[in-house]
Amino acid sequence: MSLARAATSRVRLFNLTPAANSQHAQKRLGRGQGSGRGGTSGRGHNGQKSRSGNGKPKAGFEGGQTPIIKLFPKRGFVNPNAKVYAAVNLDRIQHWIDQGRLSCSPENPITAKELFLSGCIHDVHDGIKLLGDGGSALKAPIHITPSRASKSAIRAVEKLGGSVFCKYYNPLALRDCVKGNTERTQAAPTKRNDILWYTSWKNRGYLSPEALSKMPVVEDRWKELSKQFLMYKEQGIEQQK
Amino acid sequence: MFSCFRLALRRPPTATRSLSTALTDSLAPAAASVPPTAVSRPSATTPIHDLKGTSSSSSVVASPIIQPVYLSMSSLIPAEEDATELDEVVELDPFVFDHPIRRDVLHLCVVQYLDSLRQGSANTKTRGQVRGSGRKIRPQKGTGKARLGDGQSPMLRGGGRAFGPKPRDFSTKLPRKVIQMGMRVALSARLQEHGLGVVRSLEWPGFKTKDFAERLEELGWKRTLFVTGHDQVPDGLRRVTSNLYKVESKSAQDLSVYDAVKWPRLILDLPAVEWFERTLAKSASSAN
Repeated sequence: MSLARAATSRVRLFNLTPAANSQHAQKRLGRGQGSGRGGTSGRGHNGQKSRSGNGKPKAGFEGGQTPIIKLFPKRGFVNPNAKVYAAVNLDRIQHWIDQGRLSCSPENPITAKELFLSGCIHDVHDGIKLLGDGGSALKAPIHITPSRASKSAIRAVEKLGGSVFCKYYNPLALRDCVKGNTERTQAAPTKRNDILWYTSWKNRGYLSPEALSKMPVVEDRWKELSKQFLMYKEQGIEQQK
Repeated sequence: MFSCFRLALRRPPTATRSLSTALTDSLAPAAASVPPTAVSRPSATTPIHDLKGTSSSSSVVASPIIQPVYLSMSSLIPAEEDATELDEVVELDPFVFDHPIRRDVLHLCVVQYLDSLRQGSANTKTRGQVRGSGRKIRPQKGTGKARLGDGQSPMLRGGGRAFGPKPRDFSTKLPRKVIQMGMRVALSARLQEHGLGVVRSLEWPGFKTKDFAERLEELGWKRTLFVTGHDQVPDGLRRVTSNLYKVESKSAQDLSVYDAVKWPRLILDLPAVEWFERTLAKSASSAN
Protein backbone atom coordinates (compact mmCIF):
# COMPACT_ATOMS: atom_id res chain seq x y z
CA MET A 1 0.00 0.00 0.00
CA SER A 2 1.45 3.38 -0.96
CA LEU A 3 2.33 5.75 1.80
CA ALA A 4 -0.24 8.33 0.71
CA ARG A 5 -3.13 5.88 0.91
CA ALA A 6 -1.84 4.42 4.15
CA ALA A 7 -1.63 7.87 5.67
CA THR A 8 -5.32 8.56 5.11
CA SER A 9 -6.63 5.09 5.99
CA ARG A 10 -7.22 3.85 9.49
CA VAL A 11 -4.33 2.44 11.48
CA ARG A 12 -4.69 -1.33 11.51
CA LEU A 13 -2.37 -4.27 12.01
CA PHE A 14 -2.18 -4.92 8.28
CA ASN A 15 -1.14 -1.46 7.11
CA LEU A 16 1.88 -0.81 9.30
CA THR A 17 5.22 -0.48 7.51
CA PRO A 18 8.71 0.24 8.82
CA ALA A 19 10.34 3.60 8.07
CA ALA A 20 11.83 3.73 4.57
CA ASN A 21 15.44 2.44 4.46
CA SER A 22 15.39 1.54 8.13
CA GLN A 23 15.57 -2.21 7.51
CA HIS A 24 18.08 -3.92 5.26
CA ALA A 25 17.44 -7.38 3.76
CA GLN A 26 19.68 -10.16 5.02
CA LYS A 27 22.53 -11.43 2.79
CA ARG A 28 21.74 -15.11 2.15
CA LEU A 29 24.53 -17.08 0.52
CA GLY A 30 24.21 -20.20 -1.60
CA ARG A 31 20.53 -19.92 -2.53
CA GLY A 32 20.61 -20.08 -6.29
CA GLN A 33 21.80 -18.03 -9.24
CA GLY A 34 19.09 -15.35 -9.13
CA SER A 35 20.21 -14.06 -5.76
CA GLY A 36 23.67 -13.18 -7.11
CA ARG A 37 25.30 -15.09 -4.23
CA GLY A 38 24.72 -18.68 -5.29
CA GLY A 39 27.23 -21.40 -6.14
CA THR A 40 30.58 -20.41 -4.60
CA SER A 41 28.69 -17.90 -2.36
CA GLY A 42 30.97 -14.94 -3.01
CA ARG A 43 34.24 -16.85 -2.28
CA GLY A 44 35.60 -17.31 -5.79
CA HIS A 45 37.25 -20.59 -6.82
CA ASN A 46 39.58 -22.72 -4.64
CA GLY A 47 42.33 -21.18 -2.58
CA GLN A 48 42.78 -20.82 1.15
CA LYS A 49 40.08 -18.16 1.55
CA SER A 50 37.39 -20.36 0.01
CA ARG A 51 37.76 -23.08 2.65
CA SER A 52 35.39 -23.67 5.53
CA GLY A 53 36.46 -22.75 9.02
CA ASN A 54 38.81 -19.81 9.44
CA GLY A 55 40.48 -19.94 6.03
CA LYS A 56 43.18 -17.48 7.16
CA PRO A 57 46.72 -18.01 8.40
CA LYS A 58 47.58 -16.87 11.92
CA ALA A 59 48.00 -13.16 12.60
CA GLY A 60 51.41 -11.78 11.68
CA PHE A 61 52.20 -14.61 9.26
CA GLU A 62 53.81 -13.30 6.08
CA GLY A 63 53.62 -16.35 3.84
CA GLY A 64 56.83 -17.83 5.19
CA GLN A 65 58.95 -14.70 4.97
CA THR A 66 60.41 -13.87 8.37
CA PRO A 67 57.72 -11.69 9.89
CA ILE A 68 58.58 -8.21 11.13
CA ILE A 69 57.94 -9.38 14.71
CA LYS A 70 60.75 -11.92 14.37
CA LEU A 71 63.23 -9.88 12.32
CA PHE A 72 64.59 -7.83 15.19
CA PRO A 73 66.06 -9.08 18.46
CA LYS A 74 64.38 -8.67 21.82
CA ARG A 75 65.81 -5.96 24.00
CA GLY A 76 65.72 -5.08 27.62
CA PHE A 77 63.07 -5.59 30.24
CA VAL A 78 60.06 -3.73 31.63
CA ASN A 79 60.41 -2.60 35.21
CA PRO A 80 57.21 -3.42 37.14
CA ASN A 81 58.10 -0.86 39.79
CA ALA A 82 58.53 1.96 37.30
CA LYS A 83 56.49 5.08 38.00
CA VAL A 84 55.11 7.42 35.38
CA TYR A 85 54.47 10.85 36.78
CA ALA A 86 52.11 13.33 35.18
CA ALA A 87 54.32 16.31 34.45
CA VAL A 88 52.99 19.82 35.00
CA ASN A 89 55.02 22.91 34.31
CA LEU A 90 54.95 26.22 36.18
CA ASP A 91 53.75 28.28 33.22
CA ARG A 92 50.71 26.01 32.84
CA ILE A 93 49.83 26.37 36.50
CA GLN A 94 50.18 30.15 36.30
CA HIS A 95 47.93 30.20 33.21
CA TRP A 96 45.30 28.19 35.07
CA ILE A 97 45.47 30.55 38.04
CA ASP A 98 45.08 33.54 35.70
CA GLN A 99 41.98 31.96 34.19
CA GLY A 100 40.57 31.35 37.64
CA ARG A 101 40.55 27.58 37.29
CA LEU A 102 43.04 27.03 40.12
CA SER A 103 43.52 28.71 43.44
CA CYS A 104 45.60 27.87 46.47
CA SER A 105 46.51 28.85 49.99
CA PRO A 106 49.02 27.42 52.46
CA GLU A 107 46.21 25.49 54.22
CA ASN A 108 44.69 24.26 50.95
CA PRO A 109 47.61 23.61 48.64
CA ILE A 110 47.22 22.48 45.05
CA THR A 111 47.06 18.68 44.99
CA ALA A 112 46.47 16.08 42.32
CA LYS A 113 42.72 16.54 42.85
CA GLU A 114 42.64 20.23 41.97
CA LEU A 115 44.91 19.76 38.98
CA PHE A 116 42.83 16.86 37.65
CA LEU A 117 39.41 18.42 38.16
CA SER A 118 40.43 21.76 36.70
CA GLY A 119 41.74 20.07 33.57
CA CYS A 120 45.37 21.08 34.08
CA ILE A 121 46.19 17.35 34.14
CA HIS A 122 44.25 14.87 32.02
CA ASP A 123 45.30 11.77 34.01
CA VAL A 124 47.12 11.55 37.31
CA HIS A 125 49.07 8.35 36.33
CA ASP A 126 51.25 7.43 39.34
CA GLY A 127 51.38 10.95 40.71
CA ILE A 128 52.19 14.54 39.80
CA LYS A 129 55.68 15.87 39.15
CA LEU A 130 56.15 19.61 39.18
CA LEU A 131 58.59 20.72 36.47
CA GLY A 132 60.22 24.09 36.07
CA ASP A 133 59.52 25.11 32.45
CA GLY A 134 58.37 28.73 32.32
CA GLY A 135 59.39 29.58 35.87
CA SER A 136 59.61 33.25 34.86
CA ALA A 137 55.87 33.23 34.15
CA LEU A 138 55.07 32.80 37.84
CA LYS A 139 53.72 35.95 39.44
CA ALA A 140 52.37 35.05 42.88
CA PRO A 141 53.28 32.49 45.55
CA ILE A 142 51.98 28.96 44.93
CA HIS A 143 51.45 26.24 47.52
CA ILE A 144 51.53 22.78 46.03
CA THR A 145 52.02 19.20 47.23
CA PRO A 146 53.05 17.04 44.27
CA SER A 147 54.54 13.54 44.40
CA ARG A 148 57.83 14.88 43.05
CA ALA A 149 59.29 18.20 41.99
CA SER A 150 62.34 19.22 40.00
CA LYS A 151 64.97 21.38 41.65
CA SER A 152 64.43 24.31 39.30
CA ALA A 153 60.69 24.23 39.98
CA ILE A 154 61.31 24.27 43.74
CA ARG A 155 63.70 27.21 43.31
CA ALA A 156 61.26 29.21 41.18
CA VAL A 157 58.32 28.68 43.52
CA GLU A 158 60.21 29.46 46.70
CA LYS A 159 61.73 32.59 45.18
CA LEU A 160 58.24 34.12 45.14
CA GLY A 161 57.46 32.93 48.66
CA GLY A 162 55.46 29.85 47.73
CA SER A 163 55.91 26.37 49.11
CA VAL A 164 56.51 22.94 47.60
CA PHE A 165 56.24 19.81 49.75
CA CYS A 166 56.57 16.44 48.04
CA LYS A 167 54.19 13.86 49.52
CA TYR A 168 54.26 10.12 49.01
CA TYR A 169 51.12 8.76 47.31
CA ASN A 170 50.64 5.07 46.69
CA PRO A 171 47.94 4.17 44.13
CA LEU A 172 45.21 3.91 46.79
CA ALA A 173 46.22 7.18 48.43
CA LEU A 174 46.27 8.92 45.06
CA ARG A 175 42.79 7.66 44.29
CA ASP A 176 41.51 8.84 47.66
CA CYS A 177 43.13 12.23 47.06
CA VAL A 178 41.45 12.67 43.69
CA LYS A 179 38.07 11.33 44.84
CA GLY A 180 38.13 13.31 48.06
CA ASN A 181 37.97 10.39 50.52
CA THR A 182 39.39 11.32 53.89
CA GLU A 183 38.44 8.23 55.89
CA ARG A 184 41.44 6.08 55.04
CA THR A 185 44.89 6.70 56.48
CA GLN A 186 47.28 7.42 53.64
CA ALA A 187 50.15 4.93 53.69
CA ALA A 188 53.74 5.79 54.47
CA PRO A 189 56.53 4.88 52.02
CA THR A 190 57.80 1.34 52.48
CA LYS A 191 60.63 1.03 49.98
CA ARG A 192 64.09 2.08 51.03
CA ASN A 193 64.56 4.44 48.11
CA ASP A 194 61.23 6.11 48.73
CA ILE A 195 61.99 6.51 52.42
CA LEU A 196 65.35 8.09 51.69
CA TRP A 197 63.80 10.38 49.11
CA TYR A 198 60.88 11.64 51.19
CA THR A 199 62.92 12.18 54.34
CA SER A 200 65.33 14.57 52.66
CA TRP A 201 64.78 18.32 52.65
CA LYS A 202 66.76 18.59 49.39
CA ASN A 203 63.74 17.06 47.65
CA ARG A 204 61.31 18.93 49.96
CA GLY A 205 60.12 15.52 51.17
CA TYR A 206 57.19 15.79 53.61
CA LEU A 207 58.86 13.53 56.16
CA SER A 208 61.99 15.62 56.50
CA PRO A 209 62.24 17.48 59.83
CA GLU A 210 62.43 20.90 58.15
CA ALA A 211 59.28 20.21 56.13
CA LEU A 212 57.42 19.05 59.24
CA SER A 213 58.27 22.31 60.94
CA LYS A 214 57.26 24.44 57.93
CA MET A 215 54.08 22.69 56.71
CA PRO A 216 50.86 24.34 57.97
CA VAL A 217 48.94 21.04 58.25
CA VAL A 218 50.97 18.19 59.76
CA GLU A 219 49.67 14.85 61.00
CA ASP A 220 51.13 13.47 64.26
CA ARG A 221 51.68 10.26 62.42
CA TRP A 222 54.15 11.93 60.08
CA LYS A 223 56.21 13.24 62.95
CA GLU A 224 56.48 9.77 64.40
CA LEU A 225 57.28 8.28 61.00
CA SER A 226 59.98 10.85 60.36
CA LYS A 227 61.57 10.14 63.73
CA GLN A 228 61.60 6.40 63.08
CA PHE A 229 62.83 6.65 59.50
CA LEU A 230 65.75 8.85 60.51
CA MET A 231 66.86 6.72 63.45
CA TYR A 232 69.41 4.90 61.29
CA LYS A 233 71.60 8.03 61.22
CA GLU A 234 72.38 7.67 64.93
CA GLN A 235 72.72 3.91 64.91
CA GLY A 236 76.31 3.87 63.63
CA ILE A 237 75.62 1.88 60.50
CA GLU A 238 78.67 2.04 58.26
CA GLN A 239 78.14 3.67 54.90
CA GLN A 240 79.22 1.26 52.20
CA LYS A 241 81.45 3.01 49.69
CA MET B 1 -3.72 15.87 34.63
CA PHE B 2 -7.12 15.57 33.04
CA SER B 3 -10.30 16.95 34.35
CA CYS B 4 -13.86 16.01 33.69
CA PHE B 5 -16.71 18.46 33.86
CA ARG B 6 -20.34 18.73 32.92
CA LEU B 7 -21.43 21.13 30.24
CA ALA B 8 -24.97 22.33 29.65
CA LEU B 9 -25.11 21.97 25.90
CA ARG B 10 -28.63 23.42 25.52
CA ARG B 11 -29.86 20.47 23.57
CA PRO B 12 -33.66 20.27 23.17
CA PRO B 13 -34.74 17.15 25.05
CA THR B 14 -35.96 14.59 22.52
CA ALA B 15 -37.93 11.51 23.45
CA THR B 16 -36.18 9.23 21.00
CA ARG B 17 -32.68 9.54 19.71
CA SER B 18 -31.62 7.66 16.65
CA LEU B 19 -28.79 5.23 16.96
CA SER B 20 -26.55 7.10 14.57
CA THR B 21 -26.83 10.40 16.40
CA ALA B 22 -26.26 8.58 19.67
CA LEU B 23 -23.14 7.05 18.13
CA THR B 24 -21.74 10.28 16.82
CA ASP B 25 -22.65 12.13 19.96
CA SER B 26 -21.02 9.62 22.23
CA LEU B 27 -17.81 9.20 20.36
CA ALA B 28 -17.10 12.29 18.29
CA PRO B 29 -14.53 14.57 19.85
CA ALA B 30 -16.32 17.70 20.94
CA ALA B 31 -16.38 20.50 18.38
CA ALA B 32 -14.48 23.71 18.75
CA SER B 33 -17.72 25.47 19.69
CA VAL B 34 -17.43 23.97 23.17
CA PRO B 35 -15.68 26.64 25.15
CA PRO B 36 -13.23 25.41 27.75
CA THR B 37 -14.32 26.69 31.13
CA ALA B 38 -11.85 27.89 33.68
CA VAL B 39 -10.02 24.67 34.34
CA SER B 40 -6.70 25.04 36.02
CA ARG B 41 -4.36 22.78 34.20
CA PRO B 42 -0.64 22.70 34.90
CA SER B 43 0.99 23.31 31.55
CA ALA B 44 3.94 21.29 30.46
CA THR B 45 6.27 24.30 30.50
CA THR B 46 6.74 26.36 33.63
CA PRO B 47 6.80 30.14 33.17
CA ILE B 48 10.28 31.56 32.61
CA HIS B 49 10.22 33.84 35.64
CA ASP B 50 9.76 30.82 37.90
CA LEU B 51 12.95 29.21 36.70
CA LYS B 52 15.97 30.04 38.78
CA GLY B 53 18.67 29.47 36.23
CA THR B 54 22.10 30.82 36.90
CA SER B 55 24.16 29.34 34.08
CA SER B 56 24.03 30.37 30.46
CA SER B 57 21.81 27.39 29.68
CA SER B 58 18.63 29.19 30.84
CA SER B 59 17.35 31.01 27.77
CA VAL B 60 13.96 32.21 26.65
CA VAL B 61 12.03 29.22 25.30
CA ALA B 62 9.33 29.80 22.73
CA SER B 63 6.86 27.17 23.85
CA PRO B 64 4.00 26.14 21.61
CA ILE B 65 0.48 26.77 22.80
CA ILE B 66 -0.84 23.50 24.18
CA GLN B 67 -4.43 22.86 23.21
CA PRO B 68 -6.01 20.09 25.23
CA VAL B 69 -8.23 17.53 23.53
CA TYR B 70 -11.87 17.17 24.57
CA LEU B 71 -13.89 14.00 24.25
CA SER B 72 -17.53 13.41 25.07
CA MET B 73 -17.98 10.69 27.62
CA SER B 74 -20.13 7.65 27.16
CA SER B 75 -21.79 5.42 29.70
CA LEU B 76 -22.14 1.64 29.91
CA ILE B 77 -25.23 1.91 32.03
CA PRO B 78 -27.93 3.72 30.03
CA ALA B 79 -29.00 7.07 31.43
CA GLU B 80 -32.59 7.50 32.55
CA GLU B 81 -34.88 8.94 29.94
CA ASP B 82 -36.10 11.84 32.04
CA ALA B 83 -32.67 13.00 33.17
CA THR B 84 -31.58 16.44 31.94
CA GLU B 85 -29.51 16.23 28.77
CA LEU B 86 -26.09 17.08 30.15
CA ASP B 87 -23.14 15.59 28.38
CA GLU B 88 -19.98 15.05 30.29
CA VAL B 89 -16.74 15.93 28.54
CA VAL B 90 -13.30 14.75 29.51
CA GLU B 91 -10.19 16.83 28.91
CA LEU B 92 -7.31 14.71 27.63
CA ASP B 93 -3.58 15.40 27.62
CA PRO B 94 -2.69 16.15 23.99
CA PHE B 95 0.81 14.73 24.43
CA VAL B 96 -0.78 11.33 25.05
CA PHE B 97 -3.99 11.48 23.05
CA ASP B 98 -3.16 13.94 20.27
CA HIS B 99 0.32 12.71 19.42
CA PRO B 100 1.49 12.87 15.77
CA ILE B 101 0.88 9.52 14.11
CA ARG B 102 4.05 7.50 13.62
CA ARG B 103 3.25 4.27 11.82
CA ASP B 104 6.89 3.18 11.77
CA VAL B 105 7.01 3.32 15.57
CA LEU B 106 3.81 1.26 15.71
CA HIS B 107 5.41 -1.22 13.32
CA LEU B 108 8.43 -1.59 15.59
CA CYS B 109 6.28 -2.10 18.69
CA VAL B 110 3.97 -4.62 17.02
CA VAL B 111 6.85 -6.63 15.55
CA GLN B 112 8.61 -6.66 18.92
CA TYR B 113 5.42 -7.88 20.62
CA LEU B 114 4.90 -10.65 18.07
CA ASP B 115 8.57 -11.69 18.37
CA SER B 116 8.09 -12.05 22.10
CA LEU B 117 5.18 -14.43 21.51
CA ARG B 118 7.24 -16.88 19.46
CA GLN B 119 7.70 -20.19 21.12
CA GLY B 120 11.03 -20.82 19.39
CA SER B 121 10.82 -24.57 19.94
CA ALA B 122 11.79 -25.80 16.47
CA ASN B 123 14.52 -28.40 16.90
CA THR B 124 16.51 -30.75 14.67
CA LYS B 125 19.20 -33.32 15.30
CA THR B 126 22.69 -32.73 14.00
CA ARG B 127 24.88 -35.51 12.68
CA GLY B 128 26.28 -35.89 16.21
CA GLN B 129 22.84 -36.32 17.77
CA VAL B 130 21.33 -38.78 15.30
CA ARG B 131 21.56 -42.28 16.71
CA GLY B 132 24.12 -44.42 14.92
CA SER B 133 27.63 -45.79 15.07
CA GLY B 134 30.76 -44.16 13.71
CA ARG B 135 31.62 -47.08 11.43
CA LYS B 136 32.73 -46.17 7.93
CA ILE B 137 29.88 -47.51 5.82
CA ARG B 138 31.89 -48.30 2.69
CA PRO B 139 35.60 -48.51 1.79
CA GLN B 140 37.42 -45.33 0.84
CA LYS B 141 38.55 -46.67 -2.51
CA GLY B 142 37.43 -49.32 -4.94
CA THR B 143 33.66 -49.07 -4.97
CA GLY B 144 33.48 -46.46 -7.73
CA LYS B 145 31.04 -44.41 -5.66
CA ALA B 146 31.53 -41.32 -3.51
CA ARG B 147 33.54 -41.64 -0.32
CA LEU B 148 31.46 -41.76 2.86
CA GLY B 149 32.15 -41.85 6.56
CA ASP B 150 29.43 -42.58 9.10
CA GLY B 151 25.79 -43.03 8.26
CA GLN B 152 24.57 -39.87 10.00
CA SER B 153 26.15 -37.41 7.57
CA PRO B 154 23.72 -34.71 6.35
CA MET B 155 24.37 -35.87 2.78
CA LEU B 156 22.61 -39.16 3.43
CA ARG B 157 19.01 -40.13 3.85
CA GLY B 158 18.35 -40.63 7.55
CA GLY B 159 21.30 -38.47 8.47
CA GLY B 160 21.38 -35.37 10.61
CA ARG B 161 20.40 -31.88 9.50
CA ALA B 162 23.23 -29.43 8.80
CA PHE B 163 22.58 -25.97 10.38
CA GLY B 164 19.02 -26.86 11.23
CA PRO B 165 16.85 -24.89 13.62
CA LYS B 166 17.55 -25.15 17.32
CA PRO B 167 15.35 -23.88 20.14
CA ARG B 168 16.12 -20.23 20.56
CA ASP B 169 14.74 -17.02 21.95
CA PHE B 170 13.24 -14.77 19.31
CA SER B 171 12.40 -11.90 21.61
CA THR B 172 13.95 -8.56 20.74
CA LYS B 173 14.55 -5.47 22.81
CA LEU B 174 13.15 -2.07 22.08
CA PRO B 175 13.94 1.11 24.01
CA ARG B 176 11.38 1.71 26.73
CA LYS B 177 10.65 5.19 25.41
CA VAL B 178 9.90 3.85 21.91
CA ILE B 179 7.27 1.54 23.38
CA GLN B 180 5.83 4.45 25.35
CA MET B 181 5.67 6.55 22.19
CA GLY B 182 4.02 3.61 20.42
CA MET B 183 1.30 3.54 23.06
CA ARG B 184 0.77 7.28 22.71
CA VAL B 185 0.57 7.00 18.92
CA ALA B 186 -1.87 4.09 19.16
CA LEU B 187 -4.16 5.92 21.57
CA SER B 188 -4.01 9.05 19.43
CA ALA B 189 -4.80 7.03 16.29
CA ARG B 190 -7.81 5.49 18.00
CA LEU B 191 -9.02 8.91 19.07
CA GLN B 192 -8.57 10.31 15.57
CA GLU B 193 -10.56 7.47 14.02
CA HIS B 194 -13.38 7.92 16.57
CA GLY B 195 -12.42 4.59 18.06
CA LEU B 196 -11.75 5.80 21.60
CA GLY B 197 -14.41 6.22 24.26
CA VAL B 198 -14.22 7.20 27.91
CA VAL B 199 -16.76 6.12 30.52
CA ARG B 200 -16.98 7.08 34.14
CA SER B 201 -16.83 3.51 35.34
CA LEU B 202 -16.73 0.04 33.85
CA GLU B 203 -18.94 -1.55 36.51
CA TRP B 204 -21.78 -3.61 35.07
CA PRO B 205 -24.44 -4.54 37.60
CA GLY B 206 -26.18 -7.38 35.73
CA PHE B 207 -25.38 -11.09 35.44
CA LYS B 208 -26.72 -11.99 32.01
CA THR B 209 -24.43 -11.80 29.01
CA LYS B 210 -27.50 -11.28 26.82
CA ASP B 211 -28.38 -8.00 28.52
CA PHE B 212 -24.85 -6.72 28.02
CA ALA B 213 -24.87 -7.78 24.39
CA GLU B 214 -28.12 -5.86 23.90
CA ARG B 215 -26.63 -2.76 25.47
CA LEU B 216 -23.62 -3.01 23.14
CA GLU B 217 -26.04 -3.27 20.18
CA GLU B 218 -27.72 -0.10 21.39
CA LEU B 219 -24.41 1.72 21.66
CA GLY B 220 -23.21 0.29 18.36
CA TRP B 221 -19.97 -0.98 19.87
CA LYS B 222 -19.03 -3.99 17.83
CA ARG B 223 -15.42 -5.10 18.35
CA THR B 224 -14.44 -3.41 21.60
CA LEU B 225 -11.73 -3.70 24.17
CA PHE B 226 -12.61 -2.37 27.63
CA VAL B 227 -9.60 -1.02 29.47
CA THR B 228 -9.78 -0.35 33.20
CA GLY B 229 -7.32 1.63 35.25
CA HIS B 230 -7.64 -0.67 38.25
CA ASP B 231 -5.36 -3.66 38.79
CA GLN B 232 -8.14 -6.06 37.87
CA VAL B 233 -11.12 -5.83 35.60
CA PRO B 234 -14.36 -5.43 37.62
CA ASP B 235 -16.05 -8.78 38.23
CA GLY B 236 -19.32 -7.83 36.59
CA LEU B 237 -17.70 -6.78 33.34
CA ARG B 238 -15.40 -9.77 33.31
CA ARG B 239 -18.28 -12.15 33.81
CA VAL B 240 -20.34 -10.61 31.08
CA THR B 241 -17.63 -10.18 28.43
CA SER B 242 -15.91 -13.52 28.89
CA ASN B 243 -18.22 -15.40 26.57
CA LEU B 244 -18.57 -12.71 23.89
CA TYR B 245 -15.98 -13.26 21.21
CA LYS B 246 -16.00 -9.75 19.82
CA VAL B 247 -15.52 -8.09 23.21
CA GLU B 248 -12.67 -8.28 25.71
CA SER B 249 -11.61 -6.52 28.85
CA LYS B 250 -8.13 -5.78 30.19
CA SER B 251 -6.43 -3.65 32.75
CA ALA B 252 -4.38 -0.67 31.58
CA GLN B 253 -1.06 -2.08 32.75
CA ASP B 254 -1.63 -5.23 30.68
CA LEU B 255 -2.47 -3.26 27.56
CA SER B 256 0.15 -3.60 24.84
CA VAL B 257 0.63 -1.46 21.74
CA TYR B 258 -0.44 -4.50 19.71
CA ASP B 259 -3.79 -4.61 21.51
CA ALA B 260 -4.32 -0.89 21.07
CA VAL B 261 -3.76 -1.21 17.30
CA LYS B 262 -5.63 -4.48 16.90
CA TRP B 263 -8.89 -3.47 18.54
CA PRO B 264 -10.83 -0.95 16.44
CA ARG B 265 -12.55 0.46 19.51
CA LEU B 266 -11.13 1.05 23.00
CA ILE B 267 -13.31 2.08 25.90
CA LEU B 268 -11.32 3.47 28.81
CA ASP B 269 -12.61 4.33 32.23
CA LEU B 270 -11.44 7.43 34.07
CA PRO B 271 -8.79 5.65 36.17
CA ALA B 272 -7.40 4.23 32.92
CA VAL B 273 -7.15 7.70 31.37
CA GLU B 274 -5.41 8.87 34.50
CA TRP B 275 -3.05 5.87 34.39
CA PHE B 276 -2.05 6.51 30.79
CA GLU B 277 -1.57 10.22 31.34
CA ARG B 278 0.61 9.46 34.34
CA THR B 279 2.80 6.79 32.79
CA LEU B 280 3.09 8.28 29.31
CA ALA B 281 3.47 11.93 30.25
CA LYS B 282 6.43 13.96 29.06
CA SER B 283 9.07 13.47 31.77
CA ALA B 284 10.18 16.53 33.65
CA SER B 285 13.83 15.91 32.82
CA SER B 286 13.40 15.77 29.04
CA ALA B 287 14.84 18.57 26.94
CA ASN B 288 11.45 19.61 25.57
